[in-house]
Amino acid sequence: MAAKQERQNPSFYALIAVLVFMSVGPVLLMFVNSFKLDVDIISGSTGLLFLPTIQNYETALCDVLWYEIDHLDFCAIKFGGAFINSLIIALVSTVLTLIIGCMAAYALVRFRFMGRDTVSLTTLMVRMVPPAVLLVPVFGLWNNEFCLDKDGLIGGFIRETMGGRGDVCLAGTHSGIILIYVAMNLPFVIWILQSFIVQVPRSLEEAARVDGAGPFQVFFKVVLPLIKPGLAAAAIFTFRIAWNEYLLASALSDRDTKTVPILIVNNMSEFNVEWGVIMATGMLLAIPPIIFTLFASRQIITGMTAGAVKG
Amino acid sequence: MFNTMKSTAVGLTTMAFMTGAAFANPYAEYAGTTLIVNFPAHPHYDAAIKILPEFTKQTGIEVEVDQLPYLKMRERQTLELAQDEGEYDLISYVVFSKADYVYADQLENLAKFFMNPKLANPAYDATDLIDGYVQNIGVAGGAKGYLPGPTGSLFGIPFGSETSVLAYRKDIFEKHGIAEPETYAQLLDAACKIPEVEPGMGGMASRAASGHQASHAFLLHLAPLGGRVFDDAWNPIINNAAGVEAANALKTIVDCGPEGAMSFGPSEAANAFSNGDAAMFLDSIAFMPGFEDPERSKVVGKVGYAMHPMGVRRGSQTGGFGIAIPKNAEHKEAAFLLMQWLTSKEGDLMVAMEGGNPSRFSTYQDAGLNAKYPFSATFGEALKYADPDWRPIIPVWGKINADIGTTMSKVLTEGLDIQEALDGVAERTQAVMEEAGYYTWK
Amino acid sequence: MRIARANRLTPYMFMAPAAIIMAIALLYPLGYMVWGSFRAWNPSQSIGEAEFVGLRNYIFLWNDPNFHESLIVTLKFAFFVVSLEMLIGVGLALLLDRNIRGMSVLRTLFILPMMIAPVVVGLMWRYMYHPTVGTFNTTLESWGLPKVDWLGDHALMSIIIADIWQWTPFIFILSLAALQSLPRSALEAAKIDGATGWQQIIHIKLPLMMPVLIVTCLLRLIDAFKVLEVILVMTAGGPGLSTEILALRISRTATEFRELGVAAAMSNYLLILLLFFTVAMFLFTKWQEARARRLAAAIQEDD
Repeated sequence: MAAKQERQNPSFYALIAVLVFMSVGPVLLMFVNSFKLDVDIISGSTGLLFLPTIQNYETALCDVLWYEIDHLDFCAIKFGGAFINSLIIALVSTVLTLIIGCMAAYALVRFRFMGRDTVSLTTLMVRMVPPAVLLVPVFGLWNNEFCLDKDGLIGGFIRETMGGRGDVCLAGTHSGIILIYVAMNLPFVIWILQSFIVQVPRSLEEAARVDGAGPFQVFFKVVLPLIKPGLAAAAIFTFRIAWNEYLLASALSDRDTKTVPILIVNNMSEFNVEWGVIMATGMLLAIPPIIFTLFASRQIITGMTAGAVKG
Repeated sequence: MFNTMKSTAVGLTTMAFMTGAAFANPYAEYAGTTLIVNFPAHPHYDAAIKILPEFTKQTGIEVEVDQLPYLKMRERQTLELAQDEGEYDLISYVVFSKADYVYADQLENLAKFFMNPKLANPAYDATDLIDGYVQNIGVAGGAKGYLPGPTGSLFGIPFGSETSVLAYRKDIFEKHGIAEPETYAQLLDAACKIPEVEPGMGGMASRAASGHQASHAFLLHLAPLGGRVFDDAWNPIINNAAGVEAANALKTIVDCGPEGAMSFGPSEAANAFSNGDAAMFLDSIAFMPGFEDPERSKVVGKVGYAMHPMGVRRGSQTGGFGIAIPKNAEHKEAAFLLMQWLTSKEGDLMVAMEGGNPSRFSTYQDAGLNAKYPFSATFGEALKYADPDWRPIIPVWGKINADIGTTMSKVLTEGLDIQEALDGVAERTQAVMEEAGYYTWK
Repeated sequence: MRIARANRLTPYMFMAPAAIIMAIALLYPLGYMVWGSFRAWNPSQSIGEAEFVGLRNYIFLWNDPNFHESLIVTLKFAFFVVSLEMLIGVGLALLLDRNIRGMSVLRTLFILPMMIAPVVVGLMWRYMYHPTVGTFNTTLESWGLPKVDWLGDHALMSIIIADIWQWTPFIFILSLAALQSLPRSALEAAKIDGATGWQQIIHIKLPLMMPVLIVTCLLRLIDAFKVLEVILVMTAGGPGLSTEILALRISRTATEFRELGVAAAMSNYLLILLLFFTVAMFLFTKWQEARARRLAAAIQEDD
């Protein structure tokens, strides 16, 4: 009977062990290698017999460490700066996407208004657009069209206070990257949150309304607290995409707004693949998602299944 | 961290500048300026970045480096140079970008800086710069548009110039009585003999990855074997007998090469050699100091260096980078001072001591450098035969290069017929050239 | 309907931010791209300076063997990736649909690959596929087997394997959720009727899971066309064009060949292709849903 704990035969556990090994193995391998010197990695000894070293992490983090590093002449990888950029971009775009997406999802579920069908159809359609398709137009627009004249009022003010040269364009700024991430993630967030908002009992909202709350108060005080699990799931997915994305960020960022994925790809350059250091940067990039996975796997799974299973 | 050798060099430099600056410090006016420079991720520039603090110390000019992989650097510059006001004060460019930038009028002509008595250092000694490189990397507007000639002028200065030499395993060659390859026939023989006599070891490690790398590898053999991409009237002749021979040579090398040779980029190829998986490595001198670094190489002290083998002629590659000042730069004069400092006798030597590639004859003859890097003399010799015309540097080259690279990769992996493949390239190249207007005067 | 009448503007106010952002940063760019695809446009020009060339970019691509090859690679990749992942994912879900202790821990471990950056996934696999020092070849060697040139001769297979590693868990988790939400009554009834495990799977479980499976399949299919970073880091599209999927070719055309117009036209072809798939899958879902509803109703009646 399904409800009881069943005794399984050993091959079943063997299968599970193999699956766990397969899914975690590569990550563990990277983790182990990030503590090896390049000589040890290249010599190809897969064994665990090596002297662990944090040298790779020191090299990667050289711009934020407070002490001098002996094995390094100068700091080539500015991981710290890129990490901060990644953090700003991912956090801000996540928060914005959630607020805006939540409001839109609420409107779609609770109100009937003209154009609602169009909106939800567009949302679905936009979801299928690959980032690569956005590359050309975003590159062109952000660099040439979405600009403020440097002699204009606002543009001049920005140039005076922030420095820099040329017209003030979206490309090369944090906001430029954030804008496209918010736009890219909105359809997904709206889609997921819809399925949560549907479950909020209408009677609660009605009650609040009778007590004299306006539509925005109802939304923030009644609806939002009730869909927290959905928000958590949506937040993790949005953060994940903003944190991991490479292509658009690489087209839009300049030297001050590089994110970590760009840094990693750049350091896989042709002359000398320093496996140890790259694995260390890869590991550092993977840490936030891994933490989320370990502590919020329930929300992630809810988020994944919400759209598909509950329809 | 600085070794003693370098401190001496630094001391000398400082003295040289002190004497030059006895009356007025030419840098005083620019002290406090921050230059933003765009450098590639490349061993030479890694070395150059190490000496930048010294520049700041001597001149008071701060330098901020934006370092990118070199193909990426080109993409960034395309965008940056097209703006009305750019961020970069000094850029390093891959030699084949010269055509694009000069054609689009995006680089400063250097004449006006060298004419300015307040900027030009009389002790610069431009005749000491290796002429082939200056012509190939710095000059544009002469013969065929990209080669030197009476109508040419100077837009950049070579910095990080490279040619190709052959690195081979002396121990392995001696063990099996194979002679140091001097001709292509010997090279190819050795390449395929080694896997037979030394199981598990590939003959020669070569770039072969799809795209730019495969094209580079093919062109490397094309010039010494007597071929060219174009004849003098810009007709593609890449599919003639020499072209086929070069493609065959590349195929032989890859087939007899180490495991996974088909997907090698330069770093994989160099790693294969430094790891002892291949007995030869024919590529830019930029990689060679790495083979003598015990932290990264297992073949320290076992490597012999020879000139690029000869086919029907000597023709090693000329490549590498130059530095130039963009038209839209903010601090052009200070940028020129940095450029002049880096390529001066003292700067060139300092960079070379850190593992960079010299651009001056005097540096190659320097006793200290030869003591530290014993192969310097061979490199100096190889330079004499560097072929400035081994690949055409014209604005449409990027497109043709990509086509050659993809096609060569197909030859290597999918066994495409070589003659047919090259005929295809020639045909497509003809169309590209037609469209770009190279046949207007016919 | 009382709410809606209370304030006609409210829904629009709630929708406005999302609508504005998507209009500026998604719809306008897409329109801009269509416009740009009719021009000979390079990255150092603004679109206004670019010459109008009509359908030339589209015609060029239509006849371009490299584009054809890249298209075929993309379709092959998407087909193998989606079908293998569906097969393995659903299969595992059916196998592991039991109440065992620690299932939630297992699920946590299984979703790990999905959460890690594609760039890092590419990096790990590039190392593991490395011809001499990589994990696979050293293991093969220690077993006395010949080495395999993973990213050379078998590049497409290798990137498919890497994608399967990363995304099978997605399908596994969704199918597992679907399985566990099946009406128990139908399964019990089948058991009482003496249906074997296979019969239960084929006649009851799979048909009832079908709506979820189709949505899952559609999601994976859409995502399969978005893959880029993993391949970029592992092979950069090589050797030859053997792993150059369309997304990668678009990005190379734009940045390396500096032909924004052609890249835009290519993007449009890709969009049309995706639209076709999405609509087809959408219609199929509608049809399947209707069928599944009839089936469920039939089972209920049998009860």
